[in-house]
Amino acid sequence: MAVTALWLTDFRCFTEAVFEPDPAGLTVLRGPNGSGKTSILEAVGWLVTMRSFRGAPREALVRTGADRAILRAEVDAAGRRVQLEAEIPLTGPVRAQLNRQVVRRRADLAEAVRMTVFSPDDLQLVQGGPSARRDFLDEALVNRHPRNEALVTDLDRVLRQRTALLRQAGGRLTPEVEATLDVWDSRLVRTGEQLAEAREELVTSLAPLVNEAYERLAGVSEPVGLGYRRSWEGDLAGAVVRARPDDLRRQVTGVGPHRDELEITIGPRPSRTHASQGEQRSLALGLRLAAHGLACQAAPEPPVLLLDDVFSELDPARSEALVELLPPGQVLLTTATAPPPAVSPDRVVEVASGRLLGTGGRP
Amino acid sequence: MYTAPLQALIDELGRLPGVGPKSAQRMAFHLLKVAPEDALRLTEAITAVKERTTLCPVCFNVAEGDLCDMCADTRRDPSLVCVVEDPRDIVAVEKTQEFRGCYHVLHGALNPIEGIGPDQLRVRELLTRLDGDAITEVILCTNPNLEGEATAMYLARLLRPLGVRITRIASGLPVGGDLEYADELTLGRALEGRRDVEA
Repeated sequence: MAVTALWLTDFRCFTEAVFEPDPAGLTVLRGPNGSGKTSILEAVGWLVTMRSFRGAPREALVRTGADRAILRAEVDAAGRRVQLEAEIPLTGPVRAQLNRQVVRRRADLAEAVRMTVFSPDDLQLVQGGPSARRDFLDEALVNRHPRNEALVTDLDRVLRQRTALLRQAGGRLTPEVEATLDVWDSRLVRTGEQLAEAREELVTSLAPLVNEAYERLAGVSEPVGLGYRRSWEGDLAGAVVRARPDDLRRQVTGVGPHRDELEITIGPRPSRTHASQGEQRSLALGLRLAAHGLACQAAPEPPVLLLDDVFSELDPARSEALVELLPPGQVLLTTATAPPPAVSPDRVVEVASGRLLGTGGRP
Repeated sequence: MYTAPLQALIDELGRLPGVGPKSAQRMAFHLLKVAPEDALRLTEAITAVKERTTLCPVCFNVAEGDLCDMCADTRRDPSLVCVVEDPRDIVAVEKTQEFRGCYHVLHGALNPIEGIGPDQLRVRELLTRLDGDAITEVILCTNPNLEGEATAMYLARLLRPLGVRITRIASGLPVGGDLEYADELTLGRALEGRRDVEA
């Protein structure tokens, strides 16, 4: 899986640009802060997921003064040429095309082009709240099998419907509310059990990979423990029934996979509160590497890997370990400083205030 | 910018589903240009549909006058009732020419986000029908999405004590299609709902 060319029009700080990364190896995007390096990765990410991995709103993606951004890419997928196109207007619907066909489901895109992103925000996986870790697991599930996307979106919708119903009930369980609540509860139980099981199985597969990556990155052999903790005991159906009085009073759904936690320990210590910045950073990278490793196992060829500014926070030894741990496949990497000596890029593209120079792009 | 009547027309057209400001403007200028009798035919059609169209008191399909065409048709089997979300779904089922029973239109599906509960749907009316008429089977023909499935489950639980046969339409593959183009969810459901082959 490799991006062979990317065209940007009025995207972020780029008026018009062409980016041609190395089709098989490592391409380094180098330039000062604010030059648009990350925007290139963001554009690739947007075409594949229809959202910004920086969480940017649409207005931020369109160049100031323009009314729409246009992105186009060609991807080599096991020898087949895949064409991606997107038009992002300031207002009105976004248009995305896959091989000149309108994209109906994001899962179709995810299936056609596989991709993993590492960004500085990944530290939130360790430092942030439980939702960051749940999102990480769900993303890895979807990467493993696009079918899981339906499970994740179904749960979200069931929860929103249930919450709306609890609000309307206003704390009173009339027979009518009870009858409808029963229905949403049974949907919650079915989707919830399936998602929790899928996440647990995923955590079991991730654990050895995370340990391997962490040991190499941190240079110490302290075991990393991954534990998926459900927000209920026994079967979900019973737990939902027991939580119902509380749910009615507080007008939220108290049990379900949306309240579960992925607990991570380094040795005996909880990583969120008892680990140093360096340990947390190695751990976050380890988690991403492990998820990428699983995605590689599931797919016939390795996904495209986007590494946004990962070296800025790592010392040379760790940077070197990271590069050695990278599975084969196309890697697009941004850096503001010269990459560590151990990194030998196949192509270097200089980025300067919205222009691409060097071997990879036309001036 | 425009005269008051023209602006009012653009505003009204712009409220129609699927019509944006640009289309509304184009339609309004078109109506301005066409012969008066052509434009008046449109207003007459709108008036007629509002004045003469009612909901059938039995099944709540759209009707002209008293009963709808389905309920008035004596050749149809009144013991078989197909429950749909919307009158448009009746048209879809009718096109199959496979179904010779009667219908019941709920006018929506359970959707708390949009404030739709059983009281906003024609559920009580369905119960009344089951109470009086000689109905032996209810086919739950709501959409195969989250809200439609929830509605079907709700109705199944509600109707089960009444002793009628309750069925749910199957989900599966489009006829004449290729397996390789089926999405994995639909194919998964089709496998779940497989049945014995008569040989």
